[in-house]
Amino acid sequence: MPLLDIKNLTLEIDTSFGWVKALDKVNLSVDTKEVRALVGESGSGKSLIVKSIIGALPERWKVTADRMNWKGKDLLSMSDNQRRAITRSEMSVVFQNPLSALDPSATLEEQIAETIPDNLLDKGWFWQRRAQRHSIAVAQLHKVGIRDHELCLKSYPHQLPEDVCQKFTIAMALASNPRLLIADNPTMGMEITTKIQILRLLSKLNKTRELSILFVSHDLLAISAMADSMTVLYCGQSVESGKMTQIRKRPLHPYTKALLDSAPSFRRDLPPKAALHCLEGTIPTLQHLPIGCRLGPRCPRAQKECVKMPDVRRIHDHHYACHFPLHRDKA
Amino acid sequence: MLVYLGRRLNLLVITLFILCAGSFALAFLFPGDPLTNLSGLANPDEQLRQQLMHKYALDQGFFASLWQYFQLIFAGDWGISMRSGSSVFEEVTRTLPASIELSVYAMVLSLFIGLPLGIFSGLSHRKALDRGILSFSLIGYSVPVFWLALLMILVFALKLGVLPMSDRVSLLYDVPLNTGFVLLDILQSDMEHREAALQNAFAHLILPTLSLTVFTCSLIVRLTRRSVINVMDSDYIKAAYAKGMSRSEVVWQHGLKNALIPIMPQLVMQFTLLMTNAMIVEVIFSWPGIGEWMIQAIYQRDFPSIRGGMLAVSVVVVSFTISMDVLLKLLYPLSKRQLHAQV
Ligand SMILES: Nc1ncnc2c1ncn2[C@@H]1O[C@H](COP(=O)(O)OP(=O)(O)O)[C@@H](O)[C@H]1O
Ligand code: SF4
Ligand SMILES: [Mg+2]
Repeated sequence: MPLLDIKNLTLEIDTSFGWVKALDKVNLSVDTKEVRALVGESGSGKSLIVKSIIGALPERWKVTADRMNWKGKDLLSMSDNQRRAITRSEMSVVFQNPLSALDPSATLEEQIAETIPDNLLDKGWFWQRRAQRHSIAVAQLHKVGIRDHELCLKSYPHQLPEDVCQKFTIAMALASNPRLLIADNPTMGMEITTKIQILRLLSKLNKTRELSILFVSHDLLAISAMADSMTVLYCGQSVESGKMTQIRKRPLHPYTKALLDSAPSFRRDLPPKAALHCLEGTIPTLQHLPIGCRLGPRCPRAQKECVKMPDVRRIHDHHYACHFPLHRDKA
Repeated sequence: MLVYLGRRLNLLVITLFILCAGSFALAFLFPGDPLTNLSGLANPDEQLRQQLMHKYALDQGFFASLWQYFQLIFAGDWGISMRSGSSVFEEVTRTLPASIELSVYAMVLSLFIGLPLGIFSGLSHRKALDRGILSFSLIGYSVPVFWLALLMILVFALKLGVLPMSDRVSLLYDVPLNTGFVLLDILQSDMEHREAALQNAFAHLILPTLSLTVFTCSLIVRLTRRSVINVMDSDYIKAAYAKGMSRSEVVWQHGLKNALIPIMPQLVMQFTLLMTNAMIVEVIFSWPGIGEWMIQAIYQRDFPSIRGGMLAVSVVVVSFTISMDVLLKLLYPLSKRQLHAQV
């Protein structure tokens, strides 16, 4: 049974031009011990998926799903308290923008102390617990590569450089020893050495502590090094998902193909100085969503049928949503 | 921090300096003889004129006389009121506390009512409670202060006759002038009917204070509500929920502090607006404060008093603004480092 299982997640948000479906029938699942990559251009709704999973959306937005299960229990029908109990001990999230996810008026020590649940502490008096929390916090900071922990812990977020805050939010998410880590662009803008360090840490935790990871990024290189499987998102629709190796070898959806082609490091056959392939146009804005398959206007294979939303089809555990997938030519 | 304090002190000194210079210039801009405008002595004879010329150093050029003027201002010699013949400085020190007293009570009351209402309203955003509070604050915000004051007099003083409509305390009580704050003065004095006088003074305070409170309170409700809504919508609040904290923990530990700190300066700055309104209300309630005093001075073309009153009020406002700025900075040093003053 998958740890997290989402089927047909639809999110309607109210904008100045009316209600729009920012997410349209998204499917996503994360298995135990799996690293799942969630890939898509910026603006495709990755962060919205993350926020729907942990319930951090404005209350007036409409979230519906056929299924949104955590270990078989439906998250959407749970009470807020039950949901918080899950996000407290089993699921952690690293938000996209570390600075905005930190309380500007509290020291980092206070903020990381809050995330450490009581069950990680030994039995002891409350004054001992403070010291225990401190030592757990320090250990976590060392793991993500913050050496000057004292300075970091007694600072306020605006006193530290952004990359330290970024590492701190990762440390904070890991402090509760979760089953699933949802990391929204955790390595964005990091230096390459720092990035490798973080990716190594996550891989190690994945192997040793059986931490499942939902890794949201558009950094294909980082993903290919980390992920077991991948879900590709385009404009609020999940277009393809499956095992990493399978998708790399044989993408079925035109968008996935374009995405992979645009990453030079994925193409061994690329001659030097060859033009990189990319799709015409840009991702549509929410007020001008095409009907049916949202890739339609940009898709090189689009035909008349594409104004109808394609159903999800699958070959083994490789899912895709396209009327004219690529394998038809080759077959 | 020292740089910051230095800058603020610098700002204070320079602003006060400019205010003094401005009030000096007024003596020449008002119609009539500058000497009369400065001293308050009408139609001086030749000998007195020479004396005054010398006193104000008007015969020694502009800068010398300006400098002389500063020294006199600091020495408390602000000229003589043309109406009463008594010292302008003394009259200012008598009337200004009455205005400040009124404003302070109104401010405290507004904060006590406005902050909790604003917080409740913000926390129940888009619910019935929020809409109710918001509509009331909109009404309170739109009602003109002077009209409200008149209405209150009409209802509570004239129709119902439950509250007095003018002055600070009934003429029956002879309150010794000490601090200038009537409640304090009564408490400090050893007069006969202290309790009764206190009650009487309190009853006199109710209407003017209330008419001032309505506007300021509505403003505070709106400010607080907006700030609470913004903060509760922010990512770090969502993140705090995701850490598994309950709503009350989130509100107490992350919500309120962040909502209130940024609006502190705006909140305390309401006090200066309140002082302005207080001057209007004073006239209506014949409250012996500086507003009423200045209106009288204007009616009677008492230029030394007008000059003195304007100087006094602006000095109070400027010193209050700058000292509050410093105080808030000392309390909450973590708000973004602003070295320069902000409007
Ligand atoms: N609070 C919001 N109000 C209105 N639209 C939003 C809001 N948050 C995100 N969106 C819209 O939803 C879409 C997806 O955003 P996001 O999930 O942040 O994309 P990604 O994380 O993939 O870059 C964008 O088009 C964005 O404009
Ligand atoms: S359904 Fe049509 S438009 Fe959409 S990706 Fe497939 S071929 Fe392109
Ligand atoms: Mg994003």
